[in-house]
Amino acid sequence: MKLIFTIAWRNILRHKGKSLVIGVILFTGAFLMTVGNGVISGMAAGIEKHIVNGFMGDLVLISEAQKSDNILLNLMGSSIEPVTTYKQIKEVLAAQPYVKRFLPVGKNLAMVLDESTSAPGYAYLLGVDFAEYRKMFPESFTVIEGSYPAPGQRALLIPTFARDEFYDFYNIWFLPEGGQVVKENLKKEALANFATLNLSTNVVMMGMTSGINTTTDIRFPVTGINKFGALNQIFGHFCLVDIESYRECLGYFTAADMAAQVPKEEKELLGLEGGDLDSLFGGEMMVSDVKKAPKLKAAALNEPKLSEDGVYNAVFIKLNDGEDYGASLKKLNKALAGTGVRAVTWNKASGPMGGMALIIKSALFIFVMLLFCVAVIIIVNTLTMSALERSSEIGMMRAVGAHKTFIAGMFLGETAILSSVFGGAGILSGIVAVRLIPLLRITTQNDMLQLLYGGNFFNPLLSLGDVGLTAVQLLFVTVVAALYPMRVAVQITPLDAISRD
Amino acid sequence: MDIIEIKGLRKDYPLGDTIVPALRGVDLTVAEGDFMSIIGPSGSGKTTLLNVIGCIDFATAGSVKVGEHEITSLTDRQITEIRLNKIGFIFQTFNLIPVLNVIENIEFPLLLMKKSAAEARKRADKLIEEVGLKEYAVHRPAELSGGQRQRVAIARALVTNPDIILADEPTANLDSVTGASILELMRRMNEIEKTTFIFSTHDANVLKYARRIVKIKDGLIEKEPALA
Repeated sequence: MKLIFTIAWRNILRHKGKSLVIGVILFTGAFLMTVGNGVISGMAAGIEKHIVNGFMGDLVLISEAQKSDNILLNLMGSSIEPVTTYKQIKEVLAAQPYVKRFLPVGKNLAMVLDESTSAPGYAYLLGVDFAEYRKMFPESFTVIEGSYPAPGQRALLIPTFARDEFYDFYNIWFLPEGGQVVKENLKKEALANFATLNLSTNVVMMGMTSGINTTTDIRFPVTGINKFGALNQIFGHFCLVDIESYRECLGYFTAADMAAQVPKEEKELLGLEGGDLDSLFGGEMMVSDVKKAPKLKAAALNEPKLSEDGVYNAVFIKLNDGEDYGASLKKLNKALAGTGVRAVTWNKASGPMGGMALIIKSALFIFVMLLFCVAVIIIVNTLTMSALERSSEIGMMRAVGAHKTFIAGMFLGETAILSSVFGGAGILSGIVAVRLIPLLRITTQNDMLQLLYGGNFFNPLLSLGDVGLTAVQLLFVTVVAALYPMRVAVQITPLDAISRD
Repeated sequence: MDIIEIKGLRKDYPLGDTIVPALRGVDLTVAEGDFMSIIGPSGSGKTTLLNVIGCIDFATAGSVKVGEHEITSLTDRQITEIRLNKIGFIFQTFNLIPVLNVIENIEFPLLLMKKSAAEARKRADKLIEEVGLKEYAVHRPAELSGGQRQRVAIARALVTNPDIILADEPTANLDSVTGASILELMRRMNEIEKTTFIFSTHDANVLKYARRIVKIKDGLIEKEPALA
């Protein structure tokens, strides 16, 4: 073995030019693969961390009637099926030792209405109990203007991203009630038009669900402007509202509830004489003001029992640290049998976002394998030429008693040395690069880059598995690249050595 | 005792549609410890005969027995083992491994035989001294003259203590003085190591070193000429 590697190493040094070309290709491939794996692992870890800890937990319960598992950024108009058995679900979840915490939420699309434009805009609504939300996701976001809603308060938090979007669409700059314009928070265009800025402290929204035609226009007072700690441009699509207002907006009430809640004004309206039709279109009758919500509902807010009886769209669940997703999912689905819901993992519930890491990883893998294919072709050509040029030497070795395995080993040794020296250097350089990149604190506000970064700043990570994957790819390249030259070399006979002379 | 027995050896080379006979029924026996020269003009079949005896080329017909092995019926692996253990080669163009130095070239066959590095080095040291190249031990072949390279090749051929050493025109690329010294060396080695030497040549000056001369012409052995 020592002899094989001695000859292989000295042959590499003898043919420095060729060795360098092969080496550079192997180095580049190994470096790109290592850094790429680091970026993707960082992205996957970042997305998981921010979604799990900051937005939806490890597992999500959705209605069995829900067709798609993706409930985060689903197509416009496709509504999330209601979950009506939360009281029963809560008992089941509380009995599971692997469940750390859970939070029922309402999540659907709402149309944003404004008198100044005929084309409506849209926003995702996340209906929550704000007190419970803070316990579940304590560091998810900060309220940069206004205040965090008090327990039971009718409230709407608009994320900075959504506020910017609303400004672009409606030319309105939303402020929390009683708040002032904070110039530092103004969008660049808004700052330029500061003198003529249209300000508003409330927004009218109408829930959108399929199958329910009793949704209501709700005028929400803006309680605060919030900014998510990470992936603000992704999570920033979601306006947080109190669950009762959410239900009202989405029309999630039984007929009996509706009957009980018909406000006095509407009852008067229903009793109007036919000649006073103008009254139908006057005042604020078509827009329910949550401040003027009926006392029955206000009372309900102070009774959690009633809230639990109501309708949600999903339940976010956090597992104890270190719990296995697969096993927990299996146990939970078994325990939830008969409750009308199913549990899915966060990456399924977050749709394309959860699968983003895998898609990009696959693309990178294919790219690097293509690079390695080029490397294989060049190595095969170079080593085959080398074998033919060294026919006399190889033939002589065979003549003095070298077996075919020795000749094959010599060529495999050359490729192995090149791969381990240059490929190894590529992997090491990649590891160093992955360690150095986070120190640069590269940040981005771009949507796609935030996804790629796995958060607001670029933080690639490398696991042993990633390094192992690159090493396996290198090994594959080494063996494949050596096969044909080995075959050519072992077919050289002692007679070829003499014939060449 | 005969170490080589050849009967009815034929070797044909296909050349396009025609068959060119190189050996046309050679019968030959070589005694153990002999120092024999095969002479003949170019194209007479000297090299082909040496190649077949040395298991480098294969017979078209006939029988070739090297020691107790009938080599015409062996596998590649068995033939390689015979080349490694029984036969040493000295080529016209030296054929040393360019990336190994002198001492490494000499010990190369021993390492193929899986001898320990220490044992191989000890034997190589003895031979490098015998061929007079001790001070060139760490030189690469490219740094040696033709004569020095051929001395290395002789040492390499002898290092495994083979039964037979085959040398195909070993002095062809050397000047007459160097050629003579190489033949002197081979003769001395034959006497010291008792190894059978068979070498081909068409140089009349070489013949005075041989103890037996076999003349070959048009692929057939002619009557052995008398020694001078």
